Amino acid sequence: MTNTEIRPARPESVRTRKTRQSRKASERAATTARGRGTRLLAALFLAPTVVGIVVFTVLPIVGSVVLSLFQWDVIEDPRWAGVANYRKILTDSTVLVSFRNTLVFMVLAVALQLLFALVLAITVNGRMPKWLRSVFRSAFFFPLVLSAASISVVMKYLFNQDFGPVNWLLGTVGIPSVPWLTSENGAMAAVVLAYVWQQFGFSFLLFVGGLNNIPKEVHEAASLDGASGLRKHLAITLPLLSPTLLVASVVGIINALQVFEQPYVLTAGGPGDSTRTVVMVIYETAFEQLRFGEASAVGVLLFVLIMAVTALQFRLSRRYVHYQ
Amino acid sequence: MTDSLLSRRGLMRYGAYGAGAAALAGVAAGWDRLTAADIPGRDDGSLVIATLGSALTPEAQRALRDGFREVHPDIKIRINAVQASDWSDFFSKILTQIAAGTAPDLVYVATEGVQLFAQRLGVPLDRWAKRDAAELRPYFADVHPSLVESMMYEGSLYQLPVEFNAADMYVNNRVLERAGGGLPDADWTRDDFTTLLRAMKRSNGARFTPYFWTNRLWGGVVPWLFANGTNLLAESKAPGGEWLWNSFYSEAQRRGRGGGYRWTTPQADSDRVAEVYDYLASLIQEDLCTRPEGGDGRNLVGVFSTGRVGVTPAGGFWAGGLHLAGMKPTDYDVRYFPRWRTRRHQFGAAGYALLRTSKMRDEAWEFIKYTTRKDVMTQLFAANQTTPARRSMVDAARYRKTGPAHWQVFYDTLDKIPTTGPIPAPPQVNEVEQLLIKHTGTALASPRTVRPALRRLQGDLEQAMEREV
Repeated sequence: MTNTEIRPARPESVRTRKTRQSRKASERAATTARGRGTRLLAALFLAPTVVGIVVFTVLPIVGSVVLSLFQWDVIEDPRWAGVANYRKILTDSTVLVSFRNTLVFMVLAVALQLLFALVLAITVNGRMPKWLRSVFRSAFFFPLVLSAASISVVMKYLFNQDFGPVNWLLGTVGIPSVPWLTSENGAMAAVVLAYVWQQFGFSFLLFVGGLNNIPKEVHEAASLDGASGLRKHLAITLPLLSPTLLVASVVGIINALQVFEQPYVLTAGGPGDSTRTVVMVIYETAFEQLRFGEASAVGVLLFVLIMAVTALQFRLSRRYVHYQ
Repeated sequence: MTDSLLSRRGLMRYGAYGAGAAALAGVAAGWDRLTAADIPGRDDGSLVIATLGSALTPEAQRALRDGFREVHPDIKIRINAVQASDWSDFFSKILTQIAAGTAPDLVYVATEGVQLFAQRLGVPLDRWAKRDAAELRPYFADVHPSLVESMMYEGSLYQLPVEFNAADMYVNNRVLERAGGGLPDADWTRDDFTTLLRAMKRSNGARFTPYFWTNRLWGGVVPWLFANGTNLLAESKAPGGEWLWNSFYSEAQRRGRGGGYRWTTPQADSDRVAEVYDYLASLIQEDLCTRPEGGDGRNLVGVFSTGRVGVTPAGGFWAGGLHLAGMKPTDYDVRYFPRWRTRRHQFGAAGYALLRTSKMRDEAWEFIKYTTRKDVMTQLFAANQTTPARRSMVDAARYRKTGPAHWQVFYDTLDKIPTTGPIPAPPQVNEVEQLLIKHTGTALASPRTVRPALRRLQGDLEQAMEREV
């Protein structure tokens, strides 16, 4: 209980009341003006981003959805088609195969990408000279800054069945020539390898950052309790790294579902349709066959797929991701 | 007043937002279509010419631009060299420009796209060709009628060919020497070809590839189909075109000519087509040739010039490439494609197509005419990166430095084999090529897959050809 509550209330003079009311009013006015100024400033800071998102993301998405309801060949005016484009692509074997290929590719590529990145990040974070660690970090990240198309052109030479160095190397240890780019399994393997080689640097960098955030004391305590290296990684590193794993897998899956350059340059989607991905189908349908409405419909389906997979990941993350 | 009710100020604010949105919507709706051409400075009144980037060197482009300006100082031109891996890629990029509202006036179009552009985008050149007949007569006299016919569509002329390439067979002389044989006979057959591949394989080791080919419309399976007297799509000729043949060609030369080619009914499941695939599958099984790989064959020059490949189909465009790769004129030579049931060869030609969207049609025609001049073509094709459409330019002097010794084969493929024709390229060409590449890859995976893959190819082609382009 405070003294003010004990003291009996003094009757307020009219002048005092007026002064207090006027002070409150001016404070309120100042707060409102300050709040308005702050809001305006915030809006100004946000405006470039919001405008960018609206112009380059929201409008194209809305545009694609609208276009998917039309038949448009660029040359003539669009014609209303309703859901005919969706009906058509859902019965088109090439489109369905491309979704299957993309999902298979995503599973293989993301799994390999995360595995390589994690193993290498743990290795590089181990005991080694600082300069060597810097060399490895740069070397593993370097492919990411190269153009995917250029890498694919080089990979095409490397994986050539008759003249490529990969088969030459395999030949030196007695392994017969592999039709990397001209057989169904070989082509998917080559596309996945080319993609993983370029992309794992991003996950690697995330993991290195995540590993550095794990307190050393936790590992030391586990060592004192007699935990082995593998046990420590399984029981400590992985759970504490799970938020980073979530980010790496979300980004990895979204990128993998949009793969285009590697299969386009390496195999042109072949042999047959074995490496034809959804984005390749979108490109071919729109820009080679001039069926922009159908291509947009495929794009909308891919968008829905990406959203669904990402939502599923976040849903699962509630159970499997541990925040410190 | 409670919070749920709108204040006067709020009402005015939302009113203003609504008015702004309505004004924007009104502007957007009132605008015909906002395109890239609306960007200030884009349309500077130049005649815009889109060429395949790799077809002309920067020096050649400069020469073309400067030369034309000298003749027509009143016409401003801009050459837009579009980089693309092949013709299909090039057409896709041009269509993207058209979609963006920045269509060029003229586009360099090869046989692959002649009918696609003619049907949807092109302007017939008939009226200008008739008007300037006297001026064009020396050009037509120097250009084989088959090349001109391949640039016609439904009776009208859409382009004047400036270059072409027929699929002849290049032979590596060093590999041939190791195999202990001489250059094949000019009239060699498919069996002679197989015998040669076996001899090359025996004498050049396990990692050597006697025959290399690329899976695409030009130079892939199609020359074998032609040699076997068949085609992917049934071929016929459109009526019309007499105005051109009667004006520019002799009676002998105009015999059997029409208003351009028509490719209609798919015949991928016919016995003759299957025979071709069976033959190629047998070569793969015997390790005499590569499995077909999609693409532009960009690594082929390297493997051929270093003696890892014995023979491959190519046109005059390869002479310059092999020379740059360090091959001497005596290191390689060229022969006709091997005879099977017929001697028919395939070719592809290219020239400039005028687009309907162009507002500078007369100026564009002047440019088209300019590119057909012999002095201009000599300047543009100095590096032997293609075969000039003018017969008089295919001579010993041109091939002295680069080879091959039998350079006459290039134009003789047209002059001495009158059945030689263009690759099948209907308006649905992009889809046809894509299907051909896709199913050829599957068909040649093993001998057992040939017929099922050809049946699927047939079904897909039927659907593609029914589709309105």
